Amino acid sequence: MDKLKENQAAYYPGCALLTIDRAYNNSSKLVSKKMGIELVEIPDYNCCGIGEMKSKGAASMYLPLRNMMIAKNRLGSKNLVMACSVCYHEFSRSINRVKENQNELTAVNEIFKEAGEFKEEYIPDGEARHILEFLYNEKGVEEVKKNVVKPLKGLKVAPYYGCLYSRPSMYTFTDKKPKMDNSERPRFMHEFLEALGAETVFYGNEVQCCGGRNVVQDEETSFTLCSQTISKAKKAGADVIALICPKCAGALDVNQPKIVEKFGKDSELPIVYLTQLMALAFGFSKKEAEFSDMISEPLKVLNEKGF
Amino acid sequence: MAIEKHDKENSGGGRPVAEKGEHIVARHLIEDDNIKEEKNLVIDGVDVSGRWNTFIISRVDSDFDRSFFEEIKKTVVGSRINRCWQCGMCTASCTVTPLYRRFNPRAFIYMMQLGNLRELKKYIDVAWRCVGCYKCSQRCPKQVNPAEMMEALALVMKKYFSEEVKTKLKLDEEVKTIYEDMIIGHGRLDLAKLHTSAMQKSGRTKEMLGKIERGAIFEMVKDGRAFSVLRLGKPHNWSSSKEAIENYLHKLKTIENSEAGV
Ligand code: SF4
Ligand code: SF4
Repeated sequence: MDKLKENQAAYYPGCALLTIDRAYNNSSKLVSKKMGIELVEIPDYNCCGIGEMKSKGAASMYLPLRNMMIAKNRLGSKNLVMACSVCYHEFSRSINRVKENQNELTAVNEIFKEAGEFKEEYIPDGEARHILEFLYNEKGVEEVKKNVVKPLKGLKVAPYYGCLYSRPSMYTFTDKKPKMDNSERPRFMHEFLEALGAETVFYGNEVQCCGGRNVVQDEETSFTLCSQTISKAKKAGADVIALICPKCAGALDVNQPKIVEKFGKDSELPIVYLTQLMALAFGFSKKEAEFSDMISEPLKVLNEKGF
Repeated sequence: MAIEKHDKENSGGGRPVAEKGEHIVARHLIEDDNIKEEKNLVIDGVDVSGRWNTFIISRVDSDFDRSFFEEIKKTVVGSRINRCWQCGMCTASCTVTPLYRRFNPRAFIYMMQLGNLRELKKYIDVAWRCVGCYKCSQRCPKQVNPAEMMEALALVMKKYFSEEVKTKLKLDEEVKTIYEDMIIGHGRLDLAKLHTSAMQKSGRTKEMLGKIERGAIFEMVKDGRAFSVLRLGKPHNWSSSKEAIENYLHKLKTIENSEAGV
């Protein structure tokens, strides 16, 4: 595989985006390209560990770091862009932990050595970047505005950041590095949405947790948290909730019919990905933005509003 | 301290009966058994009935074990336990505490610091509810990283109360195993399979045939997402990584077992 050109970035798709969440994957690629950066998937990627391996020491760090090695070796890129907040968390966590702790770095490199896939040792010199932060800092709000051909006038959006995009700052460096978003009150998605011509609503649950990790083994907790978020956004007048993480989608979108069954119609509100709305405003069709993939049926409200 | 119930005349004046310890601030932090409440209470021979008829027996930790502290510190997730100064910020910011009042990261960390297994054991039923939202770690003034301390807590639970874990944490453990087998075994997650296996494990296969569940599955089959996992396969050369990870985990386990004297 060839090394990247200047207007290309190494991209980690992760497991969800190539399957169930293809709408997020494809719309991320569409809007990035429109803004002047082509996302190039790293070949042969493996699962980031999705938070389930944390207690397994170096094994949990090897998983994301193997992908960093691929990006460097095959595409010549130290950095890796990703759209899933859970992947982003696992990558940032691993890079920072081995940076801080020589023993952990040694343990990870022993696994690398034994696997024998790469000639060099892993050196923590690259970064994982969440697509929202990446587009915001590399291209900026002006570039978004420039590309809007169909402003989302009259659409009220509740931006939902969830947890791992901005927390904890010991891994994400939000609040700590210049140019990073704020951990308690992130703004990047707000600014993007407003640049699209949409109206953002304040509803208080922007950085609340969806309980996504517990979706399978502890529905009780997850559903309660989701219902709180959806009903608050609805009460604040939102037409849709915009997401930046497929795990949040699993909790808020895929499970929404069950949540409504349990908590009633107050917990019913269409869910979309931020990049789908961006694609729509950039002139791509609703079909290209794959709104029909969402279980919560955002197409109804989008049609009603005349988009 | 001797506590006796002083049986004076029973007034029975028709006043509403309060719940035990109802007026104690942060009542949920105190166990029922530790609250003594009598109409007429005599402590050490002194009649303290009247306004002062509630007494909280102090918790005395006599069987704690400091070596425990070192044990947890050695794990990657629990490595910052020594920094905690028990300010309670983690519990104050926790997403789960308002839903389950007995879920208390500060208290769990305290019990782990003391190695108080007897107390910890009482919380097996809620200890696994952490959603990993990292609010606690964001706000902890000492950067203890309590979110990962909750992972360390799970390690403790598994190691010392394996029997209870088998019954009380059954589903959590089984789902974790499904994840782990997929992540290490195949290098990638098959989300659809993960979901169906977990539903099977929890005996909820019937639900999958229900209207809601079927609706979502039907949508995904119709638009092709349900089958997209098939073409994904494994990463090339994954087997060498798989072997190296398994060897590492095996070594990790051997060290743990020899330390625990298993
Ligand atoms: S916030 Fe940090 S220092 Fe305070 S009690 Fe929790 S873990 Fe300890
Ligand atoms: S990570 Fe767990 S312990 Fe920390 S705030 Fe979230 S739910 Fe509470």
